[in-house]
Amino acid sequence: MASLPKRIIKETERLISDPVPGITAQPHEDNLRYFSVTIEGPKDSAYENGVFELELFLPDDYPMEAPKVRFLTKIYHPNIDRLGRICLDVLKNNWSPALQIRTVLLSIQALLASPNPNDPLANDVAEDWIKNEKGAIAKAKEWTKLYASKK
Amino acid sequence: MTESSQPEISQDQIKGLLQKTSELPLEGEKKLIVKQLKESTQMSADELPVNSSTEIIQDLSQHSNEEFNNEPVDRKIEDPIQEQLQSSQEESKNTTQDHSQRFLTGEPIDRNTILTKLKGLHNDCSFLFAANKLGLKLSEDEAKEENIDEYLNAKRNDFFKTIKSVIPSIDNKALEYLYVKHGNKEDSIEQAILDFSNTSSDSIAQGKDDSFPLVETSSMKAHLITDNGFKSTLLVDTNKKNFPIDTSSPKHSNPATRSSSFQSPSQLSFNKPPLRPNSQNNLPLSNSPASSQRKRTKEYLNRDYKRLKPDLQWKRFIGALQVNALATRPTSKPVEYGSQLSLVKSIPSKNKRIFDSSGKRKNAMSSFIRIMDTKANRELGRVPEDIARIVFPLLGDSIVDFEATMVFCNNRRISIGDTFVFQLDCFLTSKSFEDDEESTLSQGMKGLGEKNSTFNKGMTETDSELHSRTQRMALLNLFDIISLQPILDESKALQENATQKMPDFIDLEDENYNKIDITDDSTSIPSTQHQEDAMDLNQIQSFYKAAQSLESIQNLPETTPSKDIFSLDLRRYQKQGLSWMLRREREFSKVQTNNDKTDPVSEGSITNPLWKQFKWPKDMSWATQKLSEISTDLDDIFFYANLHTGKFSLDKPVIKSMVRGGILSDEMGLGKTISTLALILSVPEDTSIVDKKLFETSNDLVIDLSKPEDAKRPYASKTTLIVVPMSLLNQWSEEFVKANASSEVTHELYYGGNVSSLKKLLINNNKPPSVIITTYGVVQSEWTKIFKETSPHYQVEVSTGLYSLDFFRIVIDEGHTIRNRTTATSKAIMGLSSKRKWILTGTPIINRLDDLYSLVKFLNLEPWSQVNYWKTFISNPFENKQFKQALDVVNSILDPVLLRRTKQMKDIDGKHLVELPPKEVIVEKLEFTNKQNKVYKQFLDKAELSVKSGLARGDLLKQYSTILVHILRLRQICCDESLLGTQDENDEDLKNSNKLVNNKSEIESILKKTEDKQPNNSFTESELQLVTQSLTERFLKNNSYKNMECPICTTDPIDFTDSLFTECGHAFCKSCLEDYLKFQSEKGRDHNCPTCRKEIDSDRLITLQCNSEITEKPNFIHYDNNHKPAKLNALLKHLHVLKDCSPGEQVVVFSQFSSYLDILENEIGNSFKDEDVEIFKFDGRLSLKDRHIVLQNFGKKNLNKMKVLLLSLKAGGVGLNLTVASHAYMMDPWWSPSLEDQAIDRIHRIGQTTNVKVVRFIIKDSIEEKILRIQERKRRIGEAMDADEDERRKRRIEEIQMLFE
Repeated sequence: MASLPKRIIKETERLISDPVPGITAQPHEDNLRYFSVTIEGPKDSAYENGVFELELFLPDDYPMEAPKVRFLTKIYHPNIDRLGRICLDVLKNNWSPALQIRTVLLSIQALLASPNPNDPLANDVAEDWIKNEKGAIAKAKEWTKLYASKK
Repeated sequence: MTESSQPEISQDQIKGLLQKTSELPLEGEKKLIVKQLKESTQMSADELPVNSSTEIIQDLSQHSNEEFNNEPVDRKIEDPIQEQLQSSQEESKNTTQDHSQRFLTGEPIDRNTILTKLKGLHNDCSFLFAANKLGLKLSEDEAKEENIDEYLNAKRNDFFKTIKSVIPSIDNKALEYLYVKHGNKEDSIEQAILDFSNTSSDSIAQGKDDSFPLVETSSMKAHLITDNGFKSTLLVDTNKKNFPIDTSSPKHSNPATRSSSFQSPSQLSFNKPPLRPNSQNNLPLSNSPASSQRKRTKEYLNRDYKRLKPDLQWKRFIGALQVNALATRPTSKPVEYGSQLSLVKSIPSKNKRIFDSSGKRKNAMSSFIRIMDTKANRELGRVPEDIARIVFPLLGDSIVDFEATMVFCNNRRISIGDTFVFQLDCFLTSKSFEDDEESTLSQGMKGLGEKNSTFNKGMTETDSELHSRTQRMALLNLFDIISLQPILDESKALQENATQKMPDFIDLEDENYNKIDITDDSTSIPSTQHQEDAMDLNQIQSFYKAAQSLESIQNLPETTPSKDIFSLDLRRYQKQGLSWMLRREREFSKVQTNNDKTDPVSEGSITNPLWKQFKWPKDMSWATQKLSEISTDLDDIFFYANLHTGKFSLDKPVIKSMVRGGILSDEMGLGKTISTLALILSVPEDTSIVDKKLFETSNDLVIDLSKPEDAKRPYASKTTLIVVPMSLLNQWSEEFVKANASSEVTHELYYGGNVSSLKKLLINNNKPPSVIITTYGVVQSEWTKIFKETSPHYQVEVSTGLYSLDFFRIVIDEGHTIRNRTTATSKAIMGLSSKRKWILTGTPIINRLDDLYSLVKFLNLEPWSQVNYWKTFISNPFENKQFKQALDVVNSILDPVLLRRTKQMKDIDGKHLVELPPKEVIVEKLEFTNKQNKVYKQFLDKAELSVKSGLARGDLLKQYSTILVHILRLRQICCDESLLGTQDENDEDLKNSNKLVNNKSEIESILKKTEDKQPNNSFTESELQLVTQSLTERFLKNNSYKNMECPICTTDPIDFTDSLFTECGHAFCKSCLEDYLKFQSEKGRDHNCPTCRKEIDSDRLITLQCNSEITEKPNFIHYDNNHKPAKLNALLKHLHVLKDCSPGEQVVVFSQFSSYLDILENEIGNSFKDEDVEIFKFDGRLSLKDRHIVLQNFGKKNLNKMKVLLLSLKAGGVGLNLTVASHAYMMDPWWSPSLEDQAIDRIHRIGQTTNVKVVRFIIKDSIEEKILRIQERKRRIGEAMDADEDERRKRRIEEIQMLFE
């Protein structure tokens, strides 16, 4: 689509002018529907002090369809698989056009704060998480340090 | 045939030979013949009255006693006189056309011709002794007359003999002439001899034609019998052999009836090799007199034996046929394979003529062609009619020679009715090439023109004309049947031909062309003058297709005019065009050639289009194949034949084209004006005139285009006259100023009397303007003044105007203006005089081929500018449906003088000549809204019912308008159901059906029905009240309804008139929520409130309604989801998106319903704020002045305001230039795709700089999809331009069936 709906322009403007704490989102120059996103690991979580890179893409049907979001940074999380795909209801069937990029990213941040191993995407991680939560958190911290430390 | 090469044989030699032959006794043979005759008379009593036949017998025996004392050895003695009479008869039949033509045209036959004829006599004499063949014509009827004429004949014969002894070299025709003139006088012989020596051969030659009326032939024949009859009966064949005549077979029953039974097709074949026992040339003399065979000589009195003319130098194989023949005589043993056969022609008797008086064929020609077994000298059978039609007219003439060889008779004896196969080898003889081409070309054509005019006087064809026509047809058919095709794409080496013969020509009516029945055109030539001769689309297309021989155009060199003289940049093809134009003007020095290829066109000679080139086929004749005889091979690879006149030539016939100028026929918009100006500025004046002036002559002798009186006009050698339509006068002037780079070169408008004396301006002036621009009107009025009013003294009068001068060059713009040569304008233009002439027109043919004639005439393209030529070779064939032929000729004429490029053409790099930005046409398929769907179904049912019943009863046509109304309604519903009951101004078939269309009550009843059926899931009264109450609390009380944000599009605030509320109390834009609901339905997802995820229902939505007073708060009401029609919605959506993306866009919206444009105007206006969008409407209701204003305002760019032009397809389809817009929406499909294409071309044309995007809205599963299919079909089969009313209706019915299938 050559033209960009007003809403996307508006959202982009707001993301830049009024950013959410701990979250950045920058549209690509050649494709305004494609965003580079960083999310800081929430405090008191296994991902604290980590800065996670994500990519976000707004499909043609946005906002009727949910945006596509994916972790680029390796992360040890029961709801995020090795490819960075995220299991989050608002990105799937619970999407509503009233939601926005900002709200989606906040939801992801919240997901980092509270992993949900009962609705897993990465089964091995989820198993690990259920069996040995401490070990899993330690591993997550280690990965965060390893892959997501601030540069 | 060695003797034939001896030019002279003296009388003494003849005498000597006669004496030699006298040694042969032949009394017995004589008796036999008498006996034969007796028998034949008994058997054919009905044909020949007994008494007359006995008289014949008596005569014959008498003569035999008198004259047959000296029976020749080989029974082939010939009387030279007889031979000559024979040939004169033949000639008068066969070739009178030529003679009579010459005679009619008053053209003298020169002395050479006569000399040739006299020489021919010698040859004929020698021929006799060379034991060649001789024919004799005699009909049964004529036999009856012989008694009566006996005395006269005897007298004549004496006369002839005496004269001959005095003047041995006398032509027999001359003899006859002299006899007619002097025969009845006392001292006839002396006078005749005197006459002969005194009169010029010319007069004799002419007199001969004159005084040989065909009526006389019968008496002549009779006379022949009485005098020389016996010898004649024993005439012998043709193929170098003498043999006794076979007469064993029984008399024929009616041959015509039999011939019909064996019309088997003949085939080409060259197989079956076995040896032939006797070679052609060394067949032993037939020593089987077998007197028993010689019965019924009578039959052969009617025979005309095939013969080769003695002056034949060579013959060359052109093809062979295998012919299935029907046996008419039984044989006692099988005819040997390879036996030589011969074809013998009998002359039809008076009551059995082939053609009746009106030239229609009455009898089958196969009745008159017999196959003879040369060796056994007996008849074998007959050829099928199709072969006979070819052979009969050609046999006996020396154009084509035939040789027949038995190939297959099943190796058993032949019974009557058996079929056998023989090979027929066809040869062209040297004789056919003998004519002097230069003269025959012009004479022949003049003759044809002349003939045509006699036709117009209502005269019927003479026998000779009939004969020559038959011969031409036979020749055509022969060439066809032996698959001798003209070479179209002769090797690339001969480039000039490749460009002339159009290999990719569309084969229009080839069948017709090749298989014309002889009867077909016999009477139609004169009568078709007033027939509808309009061309259909395909023909015009094929003409254009051929007119653009791509390769040669691509290979034209480019000439860039110097910047000093021409200030504009030419495009590549324009440069090529300039080169072409310069070449046409023979300004070769100015052409910048990239490679030094000589262009055939530049040499000024083109192949005469009436002549076709043929390649000599490989000699596959029996003689060559089986007997390894070496045929007379000539070095020529090709020969040329004019099948229209039956002329042949070994040299390429050319027409010298001396015309300087041509037709520049590039498609509209390719810059004909610019090209022409480049030419004018490149060659502004006649440079050759400088030298000429020394000789004080204004008449350029080299290019003598002008008529004699023009020579008196002073030559404005430095001035080009441009004649243009009034409306283009200023444009040309402006273009000239733009293009002209030199201050030396000036131009002048010649209009409205602004120039007092052109002569003074152009001649008595050192620096005359190079260009005079005037209008057709001026030219015409001057012409009228000069030639109509003061015609007797016009030479005095013409001292000032356009007609007082001979211009250097004339250019007529929009040259098709003169296409009707009877108009005053056309005549006026023809009267102008110049050395070079150019025609600019994008459409050289408007609708008939004759449109071209005026152009050709203006250019003085000889010989085609003579109306007779044109009529004979183009108009008449075209009217006779010989389209290919006519168009072929036209193309060959125009190919060198016409240049046409189209926008679609690609240059040598494969680029289009004109690059337009890409155009994208999207078909956007929409779905009906629920309501539309319901209404549509109702009307569809009704329509289908009506069509089906119409089809079942077969009176669909009667219900034509009813059905059209049905269709109209369906189409209207697709747009907007509120259109129902309005007119469709575009459909001419519906113009008279207002009542049907406006039948409101019917429509309303149906609409009502659909409304009743509408399901309702809506609020109950109490529910609604509850909801509105809570909403009022939330939004109205605190005025928050004024600052709502739509969560979907983030519009803030929502215009409350455009807001929509859910049951759960959340506000959205109308379109956003509707889109969302639609989207969710499409994906099969639940309808949840985007904000709170509560379930919502599209039937349970609330909206705000403004009250009449603005101050008062709005109130909540139930939102009636009576959706806007699908197309309107889609359009609005597109416009909104467009407005968001680029606010200053100009948009064109097409529809064919004016009332729909009104609706759209309203809706778009409501949907946008006034300051965002400006709407223009352009339809048939707009006055001319307003149209201009509308277009002007629409054209002004405003970066902050979208401009929408609502355009009626009909009113705005043509002519407008809307390149300011790059987006178009077609609301409804029209039947004709071309009309839609044209509409799109308003936007997508030269001048358009950005990509064009066109969206066509089509409702899925509706009549519109079917209309699309019909459009496809039309694109495929092409729309005939002049399809008549019935045709159009018929097509329409087919379309209707497609719609409802």
